[in-house]
Amino acid sequence: MRPTIIVEDLSVAYGDKLALEDVSFKMLEPGFLSVVGPNGSGKTTLLKALLGIIKPIAGYVEVLGYKVPTERYKLRKHVGYVPQRERVDPSKPVLVKDVVLMGRIALRGWGHPLLEADYRAAMDALKAVQMEDFWDEPYAHLSGGQQQRVLIARALAVNPQLLLLDEPLSGVDAVTQEVILRALKAKADEGVLLIMVVHDLNPVVELSNYVMLLNRRVVAFGKVWEVLSEQLLSDAFNRRVSIAKTDGKLIISGFDHHA
Amino acid sequence: MLDVILHSFIWRAIIAIAIAAAVSSTVGTFAVLRGFSTLSAAITHSSFAGASMAIICGVNPLLGALALSLGFSGLTAYASSANERKADVMVGMIFGFSTALAVFFLSMAGSYASAAWSFIVGDVLGVSWSDLLTLLTVSIISVGSTCLFYKEFKFITFDPEAAEAMGLRVSAYHYLMTTLVALFSVVAVKVVGVILATVLLIAPAAAAYEFSHNLEGMILLSLAISMVSGFFGFFLSLAVNLAPSPLIGIAVSAAYLLALVASPKRRRCGDLARHRVVKGA
Repeated sequence: MRPTIIVEDLSVAYGDKLALEDVSFKMLEPGFLSVVGPNGSGKTTLLKALLGIIKPIAGYVEVLGYKVPTERYKLRKHVGYVPQRERVDPSKPVLVKDVVLMGRIALRGWGHPLLEADYRAAMDALKAVQMEDFWDEPYAHLSGGQQQRVLIARALAVNPQLLLLDEPLSGVDAVTQEVILRALKAKADEGVLLIMVVHDLNPVVELSNYVMLLNRRVVAFGKVWEVLSEQLLSDAFNRRVSIAKTDGKLIISGFDHHA
Repeated sequence: MLDVILHSFIWRAIIAIAIAAAVSSTVGTFAVLRGFSTLSAAITHSSFAGASMAIICGVNPLLGALALSLGFSGLTAYASSANERKADVMVGMIFGFSTALAVFFLSMAGSYASAAWSFIVGDVLGVSWSDLLTLLTVSIISVGSTCLFYKEFKFITFDPEAAEAMGLRVSAYHYLMTTLVALFSVVAVKVVGVILATVLLIAPAAAAYEFSHNLEGMILLSLAISMVSGFFGFFLSLAVNLAPSPLIGIAVSAAYLLALVASPKRRRCGDLARHRVVKGA
């Protein structure tokens, strides 16, 4: 399987409104791509187009060697997906173990019960985000940050070749951010391809190999040092964004409140 | 009362209530969690129209109910997979259209009208052995499908977006779930009638939800609630010599209201809200 993503001239529309226009980029080796852009810039739409959940009006998408959306069901054994936490209703009566085991369901297929190996993979995934003590806890009883970690564990339980994450750091405290980023870095080090939508580049700037600035079109895409310029960031966000270096660390300021 | 219980029609009624409870606990749990309450009511009304149509055609009314409820459940599933507004419109349309169809067929039923009317309030005491066989077949299909696709149903009920992303054919399971609601409506119209069928589907599961933190617990508790309240309503009707369906409906609804009052989840929300107010002050 080729650890690649090829997107050429991708356009996606909701009704008569274009959400993505002529988006092209290639990732030909494993890496960590952070996608940033203002509200409504098409970040989530890009993830959904890569997954084949929405049908593009034009363009070509190939993920891990499979054409999307036509071959998207062949992708399922290799993809972990973390949606925005706010889109998951926490009041549903499920336990933490139920949620994490959901990551193994598509692997097994219908009519096939989950096996001991599935339970082991789910527990390992929970350990990776330091949530193993919550195995039998109701999901509804967890804090927002803990719920986020469980959703990430569900994606990790797939043992994916590609991890797609939609704002996994949104609304979580610094300690949780650190736990999540450590788990993701471990996956990236194993050769997993990671694409993460973020609204603030600061926590992930050192982990990212690639950055995409998106505002319906690709404003910039490339290695971190190629993309991180005040001019490009300001162009992407339609406002002044500044970069400063403090104690050897890059601090980017001027993003939207919620980009 | 003891000599009444010895009659075979009473045993058939007891078995029919048990079958309805089994189907309502499995299908009803997913219907409640997926927000299918209104959709279920619309589908149930279409099964009544189907039963009325079958009666004037001289066919088994349960087969007529099955045919029309399956057709309309497919329509609503199609509409709701397109978008929420379309689904809402479609549910409203099916409500009105199926009621109109039912009244139309009833007006043509002539001497058979009383048979058709029995589907409005149900006729659990009139369940025949062949009806029971139909109900049993439908319930085996219904409960069997839920068991077979249980883990997939759980995933798409909790997080349909991730389920779709991770390779589950969510729209296919959505069609299957509405089909199961249609199957339940066939069982329920015979037992409690079209008016109370939705209550029997929704109320036990909604009551169980208030006390459950996992899906398996919710299904089992829902089964217990529908069995206990169903039998309570039925035997009460025998004791006071009233029609069983309304008393079953009232007993199931009362169970839901009691659950709401005693709900630990509601208390937990209240405690959290108070905690936040105090913290904020």
